[in-house]
Amino acid sequence: MKFLDEYRDQQLAEKLVGEISRTVTRPWVLMEVCGGQTHSIVKYGLDHLLPKEVELVHGPGCPVCVTSLEMIDKALAIAARPEAIFCSFGDMLRVPGSEVDLLILKSRGADIRVVYSPMDCLKIARANPDKKVVFFAIGFETTAPANAMAVWQARQQGIRNFSILVSHVLVPPSIASILQSPLNRVQGFLGPGHVCAIMGYREYEPIAARFRVPIVITGFEPLDLLEGTLMAVRQLEQGRAEVENQYSRIVHRVGNRVAQELVNKVFEVCDRKWRGVGSIPKSGYKLRWEFREHDAERLFDVKEIDTKEPEACISGLVLKGVKKPHDCPAFGKQCTPDHPLGATMVSAEGACAAYYAYGRHLQQQPKPESALATAR
Amino acid sequence: MCLAIPGKVLEIQQDAHGVRMGKTNFGGVVKQVCLEYTPDVQCGDYVLVHVGFALGKVDEAEANRTYEALKAMEQLGELQTPEFETDPMAGKGT
Repeated sequence: MKFLDEYRDQQLAEKLVGEISRTVTRPWVLMEVCGGQTHSIVKYGLDHLLPKEVELVHGPGCPVCVTSLEMIDKALAIAARPEAIFCSFGDMLRVPGSEVDLLILKSRGADIRVVYSPMDCLKIARANPDKKVVFFAIGFETTAPANAMAVWQARQQGIRNFSILVSHVLVPPSIASILQSPLNRVQGFLGPGHVCAIMGYREYEPIAARFRVPIVITGFEPLDLLEGTLMAVRQLEQGRAEVENQYSRIVHRVGNRVAQELVNKVFEVCDRKWRGVGSIPKSGYKLRWEFREHDAERLFDVKEIDTKEPEACISGLVLKGVKKPHDCPAFGKQCTPDHPLGATMVSAEGACAAYYAYGRHLQQQPKPESALATAR
Repeated sequence: MCLAIPGKVLEIQQDAHGVRMGKTNFGGVVKQVCLEYTPDVQCGDYVLVHVGFALGKVDEAEANRTYEALKAMEQLGELQTPEFETDPMAGKGT
């Protein structure tokens, strides 16, 4: 496919790795922020191609993974109501709540549906006027415009039986939180390309300056990730700490203003609890008061719920880049994609699930081979 | 989750509720995509699509420029380190 295949060229990838090797003189730790980037890195074995001085740690940018247990339990409580049709992206269905997951509830007869887009829920709501249709609105800034449009259109079209359970999260406060942690090892970031397609990258500039870290807004294909790594390593070696844009075919400094405008009409910034990380100030979106009739938390009056996390799971440390999946004693043993203990094993973009999918639980030593040759 | 795929807009129309939609081709698979956030997109443009929404237009000139820069680096790399050709894994981690 155009704009995909050319960014998977093995020969160019090897040249970029060569350039990184020539540039690097000492160890550096970089974090790729987005779960989609983690998936590509593990799928193509890019981390194993890099010189040993460059370590990639995996960031918190998997919304399925960071949705708090309280929010999952609220989703389960709403989905169990007989008057509800609960709609979600597919990968939320197997995220473990305190007792069950959405898939188990569905098998017990709850009306839970997987949708491709939140706009699909408006059709479902029109077709089922006697039901309350709820969409589980998770995601980063990339997904917020879609959810904002669904709410906006519901209001425009007078669809009153549609609401969203909002668990939106924002990238900049989370990377600031990682940098403030006493456990932090991260010295530079590969920034989230698709988040910045919407938001631009102006809000990363004060973070780069304040914490003296390079932030390179980076795409998702192998050549994007390697070029982003090269740009970050160059900055570190030269003692620079700037925001640079590797993903210029998509991202502009100001982002998509039309999308930002509707997001700001529908949502406002709020404190948000992240699974495995804890509460981060001003790190999420909630619906504005004017849209309260579409707020599922308000409509269903779900109270704070007592939650239980499995003790063995270290997903919080994995999400902060402090540990890697294979540092967990449960990884690939008690915890597998069929029986996940934590959310990082559920979503395909969770670091644990990506490591498992590409066989890293079977390896003592990393496999020094790239999957680029078979990428097409 | 933030997965987004480039597709070529084939046809633009408004749906029954006045929402700007585009029939978009993703390597042979054609789907309807919401173009409300990309008012300047025209037929023939490539857009980046996430959960049924075009996030933005793919800038072809910028895409070509980046790719050409990478290709140019390839030639530069060959001039600088011919030995890398013979053993691309030299000096790598375990």
